[in-house]
Amino acid sequence: MPEMARCPEGGGGGDARNWDEEGYRKSILRERELHYRTVFRTAFAPSLNPTPETLIVASSDGSLASYSISACISSAAQLVHFNRKIDEKPVPDYLLAEPLSMIQGHKGPAYDLKFYHVGGEYLLLSCGDDGRIRGWKWTEALNSDVSMGVQGNDLKPLLDLVNPQHEGPWGALSPIPENNAIAVNEQEGSIYSAAGDACAYCWDVETRKRKMVFRGHSDYLHCITARKSSNQIITGSEDGTARIWDCRSGSCTQVIYPEKNHKLKDCSWVSSVAIDSSESWLACGTGSGLSVWSLLSCECIFSSDCCAPVQDLQFQDNQVLTVGSEPVLTRFGIYGVVLSQIKCAPQSAFSISLHPSGVVAVGGYGGLVDVISEFGSHLCTFCCQGMD
Amino acid sequence: MQAMEVEAIPNSKRSPHDVLEETRTAMEEIAAKMLFIKKDGRPKSDLRELITQMSLLLLSLRQVNRSILMEEDRVKVETESAKAPVDFTTLQLHNLMYEKNHYLKAIKACKDFRSKYPDIDLVSEEEFFRSAPEDIKGKVLASDAAHDLMLKRLNFELYQRKELYKLHEKLEQHKKSLLDTIANRKKFLSSLPSHLKSLKKATLPVQQQLGILHTKKLKQHHAAELLPPPLYIVYSQLLAQKEAFGERIEMEILGSVKDAQIFAQQQANKDSGLSSNTENNRLEEDAPDEEEDVQRRRKRPKRNQVKENIDQAGVCQIHPLKIILHIYDDEESEAKPSKLITLRFEYLVKLNVACVGVEDSEEGSDNNILCNLFPDDTGIELPHQAAKLYAGDSLAFGERRASRPYKWAQHLAGIDFLPEVPPLHECNEALSSEALKGLDVAAGLSIYRHQNRVQTILQRIRSRKKAQMALVEQLDSLMKLRWPLLAYGDIPWALHDPLCTLQNCSSSELIPDSSSFSAVVVGQVAHVIDLDLDRRSVTSWEVESAREDGELPTALPAANSPDDSKVTMANGSSEHVEHSRSLALITKSVTPSKKVKSRVLRKSEDDLELILDSDSELEEHTCIDQEIENVRVGKPWEDHAAKEFTLILTRTYENERNAKLNAKVKISTEYPLRPPLFTLSLLSDGPQGFEWYNELRAMEAEVNLHIIKVLPLEHENYILAHQIRCLAMLFDFHFDARHEKRKSTSIIDVGLCKPVSGTILARSVRGRDRRKMISWKGMGCTPGYPC
Repeated sequence: MPEMARCPEGGGGGDARNWDEEGYRKSILRERELHYRTVFRTAFAPSLNPTPETLIVASSDGSLASYSISACISSAAQLVHFNRKIDEKPVPDYLLAEPLSMIQGHKGPAYDLKFYHVGGEYLLLSCGDDGRIRGWKWTEALNSDVSMGVQGNDLKPLLDLVNPQHEGPWGALSPIPENNAIAVNEQEGSIYSAAGDACAYCWDVETRKRKMVFRGHSDYLHCITARKSSNQIITGSEDGTARIWDCRSGSCTQVIYPEKNHKLKDCSWVSSVAIDSSESWLACGTGSGLSVWSLLSCECIFSSDCCAPVQDLQFQDNQVLTVGSEPVLTRFGIYGVVLSQIKCAPQSAFSISLHPSGVVAVGGYGGLVDVISEFGSHLCTFCCQGMD
Repeated sequence: MQAMEVEAIPNSKRSPHDVLEETRTAMEEIAAKMLFIKKDGRPKSDLRELITQMSLLLLSLRQVNRSILMEEDRVKVETESAKAPVDFTTLQLHNLMYEKNHYLKAIKACKDFRSKYPDIDLVSEEEFFRSAPEDIKGKVLASDAAHDLMLKRLNFELYQRKELYKLHEKLEQHKKSLLDTIANRKKFLSSLPSHLKSLKKATLPVQQQLGILHTKKLKQHHAAELLPPPLYIVYSQLLAQKEAFGERIEMEILGSVKDAQIFAQQQANKDSGLSSNTENNRLEEDAPDEEEDVQRRRKRPKRNQVKENIDQAGVCQIHPLKIILHIYDDEESEAKPSKLITLRFEYLVKLNVACVGVEDSEEGSDNNILCNLFPDDTGIELPHQAAKLYAGDSLAFGERRASRPYKWAQHLAGIDFLPEVPPLHECNEALSSEALKGLDVAAGLSIYRHQNRVQTILQRIRSRKKAQMALVEQLDSLMKLRWPLLAYGDIPWALHDPLCTLQNCSSSELIPDSSSFSAVVVGQVAHVIDLDLDRRSVTSWEVESAREDGELPTALPAANSPDDSKVTMANGSSEHVEHSRSLALITKSVTPSKKVKSRVLRKSEDDLELILDSDSELEEHTCIDQEIENVRVGKPWEDHAAKEFTLILTRTYENERNAKLNAKVKISTEYPLRPPLFTLSLLSDGPQGFEWYNELRAMEAEVNLHIIKVLPLEHENYILAHQIRCLAMLFDFHFDARHEKRKSTSIIDVGLCKPVSGTILARSVRGRDRRKMISWKGMGCTPGYPC
């Protein structure tokens, strides 16, 4: 019958003629699920091309998906045009982007991803709530079939590292602590992970063994970054401190209290740390703001109190880009001046990633990714598709 | 004779005329002789002689003349006397002639006389002699024998006829009496049906008693035959479903059968007419309308309204018959199931559209209960293009119309079998395709049955009604500021006694209809967004600039913007805090004996209290911006007739600070298939709203999405109660640990910890979004949030 073709585009349900209540219920929940997903990390895929091509997104359903930026830009333009025509809605309905490829990376949220350069090839590393670090060959991951990917691609990881469990009284094992962030040091062949059991771990890529455990924080770790020039790592923790560790000895060389000179707040944590390209400046994002330290003199350069907690930050030359639980991307100068604020799509942003060309991708709540050009205009905004 | 006498005289004597002649001749001779003498000159003496002769002759002449005259007189007298008898005889002759003519005429008249009954001959002679009575036969009436006989025969005839006439009279009488009896019997016959009817009526209670609703069924079937095809399909299919599967439904057909018959006749006439042009039809039917119009105009002065009504009635002319469908609860196995809902099916003749309404809706909100029974089916728009074109924009099925053209109603009525004609052509065809439709329906009915439409729709209506009743129950309890009760206990929030209190629950106005959606809502949104921008003074994020690369950054001197927002917020909230604090004091002192309050107080210690809400304006404006940012534009139909209400949960801490959670709940008509959507914001006295943003979103995700997956299907009607209880639990939990200074949390993970607060085991936070980890007691762990 011809009118069968007129089924609502929602997918599930149909109408009185071919009613599928289960399907409709599922489609509603799926739609809601899309709205409640969070993008925890975005990363530009390495390429020789000076303009950004591909964006990898790690989101709260544990998926790692890659999106073509140019495709998103063109379809976003179409979508906006389309919306304009039909009904002049001023609130944009975000484009639901079609991924190039998708890997079911983790059970539970995937928190971080990094590229590891070895022997002319790139490894795509990711970590997540299941306490694993996994690595795939980037070329294989990119070429994995999309249609398969939607069903959950079980591409075998080259690398699969699991955090240790703690043993309690009577041999009870704790759950596997999650990995909140990873950092890499290719010269040493190491992967550093910031785990939920307040430890940072150093893994050897070749042997896949744990080389070092960094103990000292009193609460779980949020972030980690590697200072390659001096073979150090810097971690930020829920306990409100950032620590600098020596990778050779595994001992803590310095404890930084970014909140120390603030009036006492009972809630504070270090959500993100970043160092600049010269590895002499350290920026810590905390529950109440941002503080920048000089690593050479170990002094606080400035400390700025934002109204919203900072959730990720990046150095761009001598500026600091921060995002937090408000829908703006803030650009600080090195001496603490707010240079600009750009409104971005996610209401709460968890990830900021920088392409060498100056393009910035912001990912966050709602499964939204906002790609902002080096001039501050929005190249495209899309909502990531989830796993089924 | 006289001549003979006259001649006889001269014969006897010489006739005077002869004498006269002779005399004359003699005179002429003498005269001639005298003349001759004179001429010859003869002497006069000769003449003397002659004169004497002459004088003699004259004398004789005179004598003769006298005798002639005498003779004449005598003849005259004679003629006179002879004339009288001649005259007398002539008169006699005339009389006789007259008499004769008269007789002839009478004879002729007699001969010409026609009897009234010309075919009846006179009685024949033989018969006369045979059967005539003696008194006629014996009499002698005339001398002439033949004449006598004739007279006698005639008399007999007369006699006979008189007899016969008498007989005729008698027979007539008889006939009349017979007719009378016939009439009586006829009267009786005609009175019989009504007797039978009353008898039938008298049997109704018996039928009712015995459960054989024969009469009613017959009547309904008769009415069903007059239903228009779509309603007939509805009726017959429902009936089939009822009889085949014992479905607990009842149908009735309402409306006057007479009107329907008239309508059917009209329809038939229209169909038989060759030129079934739309225009003709319209003309024909407009005419009576106009007449009516005029009449009404005369009656009522308010003609504008009336006319509009009639115009409307013209387009959406309703078929006189309606189907009433009572749906009963199908779960109970008792003899008398409770009635869930009553629906009314109507058919708009001109538009070829079936409409459904709730029949006995006391409250207005019930009207929306049938909206979105299936996705994208608000019932506000006409389902077919054809009907839309025909009706134009004038028709609106809004709130005030009880019955609306839902799509599922069309499907139930089998209307979708009509071929979809491209919108440009179908205007004419829509009306003339009755026969076509019939064929298609026949072909499509098997598919219809195959799809189980009746069952599907009945089930959907049933579950919708039950869900609505459950929803009303839950909302009632919320409006009384009582936690809704949970029937299903195998979930952590059922075991958790909320520490927070329901401070306020107010229903917002309905979300605007999608009929006015395009205009109104967009306007509102735009307005609010402007407001938002003004308040926060952050440049709007412009969609159209998305592509333009070379554009300058939409940045602004941000130094003032966050400060601004902070200032307003701080102002607002501090004001608010004071205000509500004083209010709390007031209510505390004024209403100490409030029952609800005492109940709540008993349940836990002083750290919580019920604060009656007084003023929502202050509270609202702090959360406006966050709400608006959360607006996601869904499909407009989803929000149709959705209800919205606002809940405020309050938690008061020992140090007199309190936290308020504002939950805006949107309940769509598709409840519980589409679960209520909670939008949370904090009315806390803490300085920063963004600090809590992630927690709120996590709570939203939990309440809106994750617990729904946990909840078993048979309890889904109480989803709202579960969501609210879960929200209360999450609120308790999230805003509890926050204010006691966190002791250095143990590194050991959740599973190994001793329970801290009794019901919830927790490692404080986890993950980059710092969400609270919750492991349910008695349920195992939640499936890892968020997926």
